[in-house]
This record gives sequence, C-alpha cells and structure tokens, in this order.
Amino acid sequence: MNVSYLELLKLAAPETIVVLTALAALVVDLTSTRDLEARFRFIINGMIACAGCVAAIVWMLVMPAHANALEGMFVVDPLTQVVKIALLGLTLFTVLISMDSTFTEHIGEYLALILLAAVGMMFLVSAEDILMIFISLELTSLSLYILAAFNKRDVNSAEAALKYFLFGGMAAAFTLFGLSLLYGLSGATNLGQIAAALEDKGLDPLLIVAMVMIVLGFGFKVAAVPFHLWAPDAYQGAPTPSAAFIASGSKVASFFIFAKVMMIGFTGGETNGVHEIAGSAAWQQFVSGWTPVVAVVAVLSMLLGNLVAIVQSSVKRLIAYSAIAHAGYMLIGVMAHSGEAVASLVYYAVTYGLTTIGAFGVVAVVEARSKDDQLASFAGLSRRAPVVSLCMMIFMLSLAGIPPLAGFFGKFYVFAAALKTGAPNLGLLWLVILAIAMSAVSFYYYLQVLKQIYVADMPAGAEELRVPVLGQVVLGLIAVGVILLGCAPNLLVGVLQASIKAAGL
Amino acid sequence: MLAWTVYISFLGVLGLMLLPKGNASAARKVAMLSAVAGLLVAVAGFIQFKAGEILTVAKLPWVPSLGIEYHLAADGVSLTLVLLTGLAAVGGILFSWNIEHRAKEFFAFYLALIGGVYGVFLSFDLFLLFVFYEIAIVPKYFIIAIWGSTRKEYGAMKLALYSFVGSAMVLIGLIAAYVVSGAQTMNVLELAKHPFPHSFQVWAFPLVFVGFAILAGMWPFHTWAPTGHVAAPTAASMLLAGVVMKLGAYGCLRVAMTLFPEGLEAWKTWIAVLAVIGIVYGAMVALVQKDFKFVIGYSSVSHMGFVLLGLVTLNTIGLSGAVLQMFSHGIIAGLLFAVVGRMVYERTHTRELSVLEGMNLVKAMPFAAVTFVIAGAASMGLPGFSGFVAELQVLIGAWKAFPTLAVITGVGILIGVAYTLRAIQQAFFGEAKERGAPVPHDDEETKHAEQEIRAPITIPERIGAVLLIGTSLVIGLYPRILLDVIFPSFNSPLFDGLRRVGLQ
Amino acid sequence: MTPLAGYLLLSAMLFAIGLAGALTRRNAIIVLIGIELMLNAANLNFLAFWRFGEHPEALAGIMFVIFSIGVAAAEAAVGLALIIAIYRHYKTANVDEVNSLKG
Repeated sequence: MNVSYLELLKLAAPETIVVLTALAALVVDLTSTRDLEARFRFIINGMIACAGCVAAIVWMLVMPAHANALEGMFVVDPLTQVVKIALLGLTLFTVLISMDSTFTEHIGEYLALILLAAVGMMFLVSAEDILMIFISLELTSLSLYILAAFNKRDVNSAEAALKYFLFGGMAAAFTLFGLSLLYGLSGATNLGQIAAALEDKGLDPLLIVAMVMIVLGFGFKVAAVPFHLWAPDAYQGAPTPSAAFIASGSKVASFFIFAKVMMIGFTGGETNGVHEIAGSAAWQQFVSGWTPVVAVVAVLSMLLGNLVAIVQSSVKRLIAYSAIAHAGYMLIGVMAHSGEAVASLVYYAVTYGLTTIGAFGVVAVVEARSKDDQLASFAGLSRRAPVVSLCMMIFMLSLAGIPPLAGFFGKFYVFAAALKTGAPNLGLLWLVILAIAMSAVSFYYYLQVLKQIYVADMPAGAEELRVPVLGQVVLGLIAVGVILLGCAPNLLVGVLQASIKAAGL
Repeated sequence: MLAWTVYISFLGVLGLMLLPKGNASAARKVAMLSAVAGLLVAVAGFIQFKAGEILTVAKLPWVPSLGIEYHLAADGVSLTLVLLTGLAAVGGILFSWNIEHRAKEFFAFYLALIGGVYGVFLSFDLFLLFVFYEIAIVPKYFIIAIWGSTRKEYGAMKLALYSFVGSAMVLIGLIAAYVVSGAQTMNVLELAKHPFPHSFQVWAFPLVFVGFAILAGMWPFHTWAPTGHVAAPTAASMLLAGVVMKLGAYGCLRVAMTLFPEGLEAWKTWIAVLAVIGIVYGAMVALVQKDFKFVIGYSSVSHMGFVLLGLVTLNTIGLSGAVLQMFSHGIIAGLLFAVVGRMVYERTHTRELSVLEGMNLVKAMPFAAVTFVIAGAASMGLPGFSGFVAELQVLIGAWKAFPTLAVITGVGILIGVAYTLRAIQQAFFGEAKERGAPVPHDDEETKHAEQEIRAPITIPERIGAVLLIGTSLVIGLYPRILLDVIFPSFNSPLFDGLRRVGLQ
Repeated sequence: MTPLAGYLLLSAMLFAIGLAGALTRRNAIIVLIGIELMLNAANLNFLAFWRFGEHPEALAGIMFVIFSIGVAAAEAAVGLALIIAIYRHYKTANVDEVNSLKG
C-alpha cells in the first residue's frame, strides 16, 4: 500500500490546521498571556482559536477535494466537507459564547480541548472505516468528558463529568464489542466491504447482536432513550459552554456517522465507490433488521424527552430533555435512509446545534448574573435585557418548530423525507404523526421559558442586566442565522443536495 | 401590490422595535400608520380586482429542490378577508389607544399577528400558508398573557395549545398530501388538480378540516374561544373574533375542501351536525352567562357555526353566505367586544351583568349603549345589517342540503335574539335598583369610580365604532359590493374538485 | 468446539462479567475496572477473529487491538482524573453518594 503522505496531509489540512491552532492556543496561554487578566486571556486565545476555525473553513471552501484515502479510513467528499464546515462553525460559536465565562483559569487548555474535540468530530465525519470511527469517537468523547469537568470549583461539574464518563465508557465498550463482531462476520473494517461481505450471509443472530450493540453505542452519543440517562445531568452540571458543545457539535457529528454506518454498513449500498442496486433482497433484509430497533428508540425518545421536559425547573435540564426529544425526531431521518433523508438530517442537526448553542449562550448570560439557571431567574428578563430576550425567543420558537425559523423547516424536511421513503403506503406515517403530536407538546414547555421572560414580572429591585457587547453581538448573529436558515433554507439545502449527489449517497 | 399588506405590517414591527423605550404615543402612531396603510392597500387591491380572476401577486421559487414557492395570490374569497383584516386591524388599534403598559411591545406583537393573518389569506402555496398561519398563532399568546385580564395566563396557554394542536394536525395532512401527490409542489392550484386516492382523502380530510376548524371554534373544540376572548385585552378579542377565527374557516375552505373534495363528501353530514350543535349550544350557553364578555364569546362560537354550516352545504349560495358571514361576524363581533372590553369594562372595571344592571349605564355612557344596541341588532341578524344577508344565504343553502338541520338552525337564531336582548337589557337598561339605602357619595373612592364611569367616550373610540357600524350597514344595505367578488370566484378551477362531488 | 468458538465464548463471558461489575458495583473505580474488562473482551474478539479468520495476513484485527489498547489507556487516565476530582469534593468514590443533580 503506497501512500503519499504529502497528499494525505493536504487532504487532512483542515484537521491539521485545527490541531495546530489547539497547540498554539495552549502555548500562547502558557508562555505569553499567563499574567494577564482572565478576560483578556480569554479574548486573545479565543481569537486564536476562532482564527484557526476560520482558516480551516476557508481552506475547505477554497480547496474542494474529493478523495478516498487508505481504503475509507479518510474520505473527503463535498458532503463531509459541508458537515465539517458546519462543525467548525458550531465550534466557533462555542468559543465565542465562552469568552464571557469565569469558571476556569486554565483558558489555554480549555480552548485546546474544544478544538481537539472538534478535530475528533471532523475525523469522525470523514471515517468510513470502523477503526477510524472508533478512534475519532473516543477522541471526541474523551475531550468532552474533560470539558464537562472543567469547573473544578463546582461539585456539579465533576459529578456531571463522572456520570457522562461512566455511561460513555460503557457505551464505548458496547460499540467496540459490536464492531468486533462486525469485523468477525465480515473480515473487513471498511464499511463498504463489510456491507458487501454481509450481503450474502443473511441475518445472522450474531449480526443482530452487533447491530444492537452499535445502535446502543450511538444511541448514547446522541442521547436517545434508553441511553439518555447521562444527558440531563451532564447538561445541567457542566459549564454552560461545554454543555452547549456537547449538545451541538457532538450531536451533529454523531448523527452523521450514525446515519452513515446504518446506511452504508448495513445496507450493502457501496463497495469502494462502486454502487450496487439498492433494493435487492439483502438490502430489504437489513433494513427490516435495524429499522425496528431504531424505531423503538425514536418513539421512546420523543415520548420521554417531551413529557419529562414539561416538569423541569432548571432551564439547562429542560433543554437537555428537549434534546432527547429532538434526537427522537432526528432518528426518524436516520430511519428514512435515503439521500434526501441524509440531507434533511444534516440540515436538522446543524440548525438544531446552532439554536442550542444560542440557547445555552443566553442561559450563560443569565447564569453569570443570578448564579443559577432556574426558570425563576429568567423572570422579567425582557425588561432587563431586551436583546438577549429577543434572541431567546427566537431560539425557543425555533426549537418548538415555529416557522419561519430554522427548526420548522428542519422538521418539515425530515418528516417529508421520511414519508417519501415509504411513499405510496406512507410506511413511516405513524412515526411522523407521533413526532408532530409530540412537538405540539413541546410547544408548552418552550412557552414556559418565554412566559417567564416576557410575561412574568421582574423580581423586585432587579436592575438592567449588563451584557457585554460581544456577547450580544454573538447571540444576535446566531439568532440571525436561525432566522436566515429558516427563511431561506435553500442556502443550506441546495448545497447539501448538490454535495450528496456528488458524494453518491 | 397586495403583498404590501404583509410587508407593511412586518415593517411596522421592525419600526416599533427600533423605537426608544417607553414612548407609548409614538408606538401608537407607528402602529396606526401601518394598519391604515395596510387597509388602504387592501382597499385599493379590492377596487382594482376583476371579479372571477385569480390574481397572482408574487410568485418566486423559494426552496426549488422541494418545489416550494413564495406564491401570493388572491381570489374573491381571500380578497374579502384581506379587506376584513384591514378594517379589524384599524379598529383594534383605535380601541387600544389607551394602552400605556409596554405599549411598544404590544403593538409589535399586534402587527406581527396582523401580518401573519394577511399572509395566510394571500398564500397560494400551502407551505407558505402554514408559515403565516403559525406566525399568527404565537403573538396571540403574548398579547393575552401580558395585557389580558381574568385568568389571562390560563386563557392564553389554552388558546396557544389548542391552536398548536390544530396546526399540528394540519401539518400532518399537508406533508402527507405533498408526499402522496408526488408532484413536488405545494401550490394549491396544482394540488387541487391532483386526484388523491379516496381512502387517503377519507382520513386526510377530517384531519386537516378539524385542525383548521379548531381555530374556527367548531364545537366541541371551541372551549378555547370563550376563555381566550374573556382573558384577552380588547384589541386582541377583536382580532381573535374578527380575523383569527376566520383563519380557521378560511383554511377549511381553501385547503381541506379544495384538496380533498371526496373526503368532504364523506364527512359533510357529520360536520354539518357539529356546526348546528355549535350554533344552538353557543347560543344557549350565551343565554345564561353572568359575565358580559362570555356572552359575546359564546355568541362567536354560535356565529362561527353558521360559517362552517355554510361551507359544507356544497352549494354556491351557502358558500358565499359562509364567506360573507366571516366578513360580517368579523366586523360585528369586533364591535361588540369593543363596547364590552373598552367602553364598559375599562370604565366600570366589572363585567358582571348583575353588577352592571345596577349602574344604569344608558345614562352614564349613552354612546356605548347606542353602539351596543346597533351592534346587537346586527348580531341578531336584523335586516339592513350585514349579518342578515349572510345568515339568510347560509340558511337557504342549508335548506337545500340539510332541511332538518336548517330548521334547528332557525331555533338557534331565535335564541340568538334572546341572549342579545337580555345582554342589552341587563347591561345598559337595568333599573337602577338601589340595593338597600342609597349610599351617599361622600366616599372619595366611590366618587372616583363614578367619575371614571362618566369619563367621556374618546375620539378614537367614536371613530372606531362609526367605522365598524358603517361597514356593517353598507354591506347590509348593498351586499353586492362583496357578493359580486365572492360569487364568481367559485367558478375558478380551484373549485373543480368540489364541483365533481356536486357543488351547484 | 472450534478454537474460535472457545475464544468467543471466553470474550462473551469477560464482557458479561465486566458489565455486571459496572452495573452492580458502587465504587467508581470498580465500575471503571468493569468497563476496562468489557473493552478487553472486545479486544480478545478482534484477536480471535483475526487469528482464525480467512485472511490472517491482513493485519486489520491486530491493528485495531493496538489502537484500542491505547484508547483504553487514555480512557482510564481521564476516568481516574475525574474520580479524583469527585473524591476532592465528596471525600468518597461511591457513585450512590454522588447525587446532587436530580430532576
């Protein structure tokens, strides 16, 4: 196997740039900015991190590539590039909303870990080989565990991280065991080859075990019921920017790879770029093999997430349960397993990630002033910080799926794609009905947050909240993004569809 | 040009957001300016409109890969309702001229609601229609929850959830129709041509129809309406009864009935029965209410029953009656709520009919009394007012389609006369029964209350009342203004499907 | 019983023991050990499949194991660090007592 390392480096340039930026932030913070005030340190190093992300994005925009290196270890095509750009965008916003925080003195390390997690996600997106999938999954997870524990003064942060870690470790073990079975059954590590090898084997009991274990592992990453137990605690206890990153970036990457593994690995659709006819007998067999498993997970997530969110009093916890519900909606997109479904899934995940970062950003603003994230702390916010409140209204309504915001189009697109898959008989109709009914329920608890902000009276003696200009600008930008992607979904949908066609999914 | 009704409203929202804090009078003026401009555009559009055509206002690709278009258009039905929206918007602002508390936000939500409503009436792309429909739902919650009265948070939440459940049902139906047609389009003109399978229509029709009808106050899903109306501030009650309930009825006609005519045929008797139950039940409940505003709230349920009944008669006279009733009820209910909410409640601070009875309001506020008597007469369906023409048409249509139900509806009308007269009598012409010995008016507080009751009716209130009464009279005396526009639109290709199942 | 089946049985048992430990034990360190056991069961699988598979000359299986041992070590390092952090706050590593987050 001859590999040109220079070629490889060029293909992996965006990842390399981000790794180098992580190191740069680390070094700069340790050597030059150490004695400065924490605020300035955050701003200087944050700018370095942002610059790295922007450089990587620009690289991908300027140098579009299409290659499959090392037999699927590292696949670069227009689709993965779009997802990577989106991930870097989410990373950028995470860095920006953490600039105002005061929970740590280890600023360089914090930013470096965010960037390393981002690198893990980028490799994950590019992987079509179970070894690469496992390693990049772990790189992401390990970075995120530490990010969750980053507030060393706070008991809750350590507890959140420990719970996240223990559940995550167990899920990783399940994934690895499932992957080992898959390797044993097929003798290959490349998803396409696995699918080809499995095609003539039929639905082995061992394959079912492998499938269930892999679904379990990914189910943990995307926080779907019944593997969701860590999510509420991790979201609530972790420092808010870390929680935002766990909820957004990690989710986008995990859903993308989840869909990819299910669609390529288990359907026999692709062998080293050669496409076989989808719809063969074996294809049907596998689809019927894993869809019921995912369907059960999706239904449980939608029900439990939405119903439990209603009774939450902590806003971060509320967002966590709503995240579980959203995972349920997105799983419908995974089940639809068509090219259009992947486009809709990526659209949904990206816009959801963006909205969630914004929502956590607002929570961070409030938390910094009132020391907790209880619903009551938001009372009368619209009169104390009108801009931030307006942003929160946009985020909440988008999560609830109110047009013309991005969340609505995402739902519409996912559901339409899901129905199209089963087209004449509308096979997934019952799931779509449940999802839409549940999103009507979700409207209730999102309104609870908005009710506190807009309707409830200010606590006596409350003053205007001083929100740094930078924070307002960032939140405003995210809000504009949510509106823009909702009003002009074609900005993203057009690109996604073109790239899916080019990637040949 | 009609598209500007939507744009002006949202520009108004933007303008309001940029205004400095705490300047209520500027906010009021900006809102008024936008509403009047919207009305003028609507009137101009109405005058230029050639009866029978489907006027394309804007048609641009929006999400080309899914075949979704930004498609605004108008036929006679939508134009009538756009005109109603313009009138109700101006009326609502006139009657909320006295809002001082967070006025800027109030008018911003108000105009967003209006913009959404205009949008729904003008959308010919179902995706776009749904977008505007939801835009209209959200501000209602905030307007009621922040500026409302009696159990406002409960009323607001109930209304928001009912609306959202309804829209969820509609969304399921729309996505299913979009996928089943396989045509990659949401254009209602295109989808109306598509012959959906009968089995599909039979379940999709009730889903979409009921989804919209929840907002139209169809019995038994009407319970949000009275509580919502009572909790809402005056302007919001006016809009709720005036235009928002029409959104539902309009959706039933434009979406559910045009797309799924066979479904309508299968279900029409059931819906007619529900509509008539709504008419009679609403009227009977209105008859025994103690709260003045509840009387009007339930009367709305009753009147909206006529709209739904007219829709399912499946003959043009019934349909045009339904559309005319939408217009007429929008004007009259707005007026009634204005009298109760703004003229009476803001001065007496009570809506209990038994308390009002003792105040002898006809002396204290003759203008309010006269307005209410006129509006009540219009609401009863007295000839000369718009309600008469509309309800007569619905009755004739119903007589052709469901004779038995038409008779029962007649009973409903009689009860309508009864509750209106009772409300007029108790609220304004109560004998000033001196309960016990007359209290000498030396108490400072009583004096203050007395003064408040005698506070003169302000100019904006007078203008608003005259505007609405005038409209009702003009349409009542010369209904052809609207009918000439409404009737020909039933000949458009949109109604081909309904003609196949027997629209005469 | 073929050797492969034997190894698979062994690894399945290891996995089960690890899972049982992780689920029933209350001490975070023992839970961590359970997780490591599960990971190693998977490693054993890889080795067995590689050794008795059709193409033992392709080194995919053993490469996988080498990487996963590395990852498991990193995971243990992070895990122990987190347990120390918990111990500093709670003075215990018992997961049942670490329960301030609820709802």
